[in-house]
Amino acid sequence: MVATVTSTADGRAVGTSPPAPGQDGNRRRRRRDAWAATAFVTPSMLAFGVFVIVPALAGLGLSFFSWDLFTPPEWVGLDNLARLLGDGRMWGSLWVTLLFVLLGVVPTIVVGFVLAVLLNTRLPGVEALRVLYLAPMVASSAVAAVLWAYLYDGRTGIANSILRWVGIDGPAWLSDTTWALPALSLMMIWLALPLVMLLYLAGLQRIPDDIYAAAALDGAGLWRRLWSITWPNVMQTTVLVTVLQVINFVSGSFETALIMTGGGPLDSTQTLALYAYRTAFEKGEMGYASALALFQLVLIGVAVGLVRLAAKLRSAT
Amino acid sequence: MTLRTLVRYATLLLCGLLMAAPLFYLLSASLMSAQDARAFPPHLLPPNVVWHNYAEAYEFLSARAIVNSFVFSIGIVAAQLVISIPAGFALATIPFRWTGLLLGVILVPMFVPANMTLIPLYIITYQLGLVGTYAGMILPVAGQTAFAMLLFRQFFAGLPPGLIEAARLDGAGWPRVLTLIALPLARPALAAYCSISFLTAWNTYIWPQVVAPDREHQVMTVALAPLAQGQYTLMSPSVGLAAAVISMTPVLIIFLAFQKWYIKGVVGTGLE
Repeated sequence: MVATVTSTADGRAVGTSPPAPGQDGNRRRRRRDAWAATAFVTPSMLAFGVFVIVPALAGLGLSFFSWDLFTPPEWVGLDNLARLLGDGRMWGSLWVTLLFVLLGVVPTIVVGFVLAVLLNTRLPGVEALRVLYLAPMVASSAVAAVLWAYLYDGRTGIANSILRWVGIDGPAWLSDTTWALPALSLMMIWLALPLVMLLYLAGLQRIPDDIYAAAALDGAGLWRRLWSITWPNVMQTTVLVTVLQVINFVSGSFETALIMTGGGPLDSTQTLALYAYRTAFEKGEMGYASALALFQLVLIGVAVGLVRLAAKLRSAT
Repeated sequence: MTLRTLVRYATLLLCGLLMAAPLFYLLSASLMSAQDARAFPPHLLPPNVVWHNYAEAYEFLSARAIVNSFVFSIGIVAAQLVISIPAGFALATIPFRWTGLLLGVILVPMFVPANMTLIPLYIITYQLGLVGTYAGMILPVAGQTAFAMLLFRQFFAGLPPGLIEAARLDGAGWPRVLTLIALPLARPALAAYCSISFLTAWNTYIWPQVVAPDREHQVMTVALAPLAQGQYTLMSPSVGLAAAVISMTPVLIIFLAFQKWYIKGVVGTGLE
């Protein structure tokens, strides 16, 4: 994609200028283009370099140092890695991270897909209804946290009131070691659904109508069409959505947990990302925190690799 | 209308209401008295509407935090616009041998989660002496220009090529082509970019919390977050919820006004 754009732009510039400025003019023109491009691109790329590339590389490098920001950094080689492998809290937070992914990603995908199918209709008035579905998009993690903490309140929250209504005595959600994590996952699913739904809607709209017409002629029912036509045809979207949601639940979840439970009770909602954050900003151990963050990136890399592999295997069979 | 469409409408409405229900309840409970907000069984609608909650919430947030949120968000959007539009334009239209390489460089970190680079980003900001300043809050976020550059590049690449070429043959330099021809046409891209970026910046919590959590620089998300852990138990929960509504209002307005562009931008960029 990238290469075609450049070469067409190039070809057009050289090939179609009618007055044929000659080799000299051509070269001058190209040099002027290069100058202009450089001037246009430099401020943005400079900012990108300082605030994206350098931090990314620095994060890598920092993992091999011990540093509290105030005394000079000290090279410790692989000590951080060794410490990480022997760190019980790290393994605990790794487990919490995996639980988050398990509880969050699959429901987000399934519900997001179903809602998109529901919304993907030409019935009049659907546009207006769509706003309701997208509503969670405007809530920041802080707003959502304040709201859901209120809903989850053990004594007076509406969650437990509904449960009591059907005869269940609900737990004190956010201060319960078993239920805090599922409670946070539910809230994060709610926050993530609009984007997933939009991506699926875009995917659904690319499926040509005549496939469905043909299937209807063959007498395929609603479920059969959904399962053997719609679902396989949005596979690409599913891969993308899965990758985005794995990143969201591995890494984005830490913000939610930080605001709502601070990782507690008893570390039961402390993900790897949150552990790294606290190691850096509460204990001031920048080197070890970077090693933890790097470990998290490796985790995401492995997960994304697995998703890709699964998609490839599925399309092969 | 057949029974089938009727069922479909009913399902659509029901699911939609379910999705929006927490936010409706937020609005409703923000208008309850302290007793009503803690009552059991809970009230769905306020028995007595207490507008005073909003006055208290405004005081709790402080005008300063509201202004800070605007400074932070508008600062990020403006800074990114100024540097990303020319870059996106150049990457899309000016023949340049490094274009491919630059695009590759931009794309790579798109899938690296933001909290990965949080620590080194903080260290850089600290070394630049910007911790606890507006510049420190704004510049490092504004520097994450990949999304903006790609969005504008994609838009400018879609302009009819003859248009730019004609202007070039008339002797217009690249800056003129950008400002007089391409930019006036870029309104859809601008709308998409501004709505998405403003909303994202407005809702950002972690970066301003890390870099400038003091009262003077506090944005609304930072002021709001402690309420989730009930650290202000003396305050009525309704006041906290009213504060949440206040902080959400500007983005709600922008979202409703720019919905179409917002969705186009979110779905169309960097993700496909």
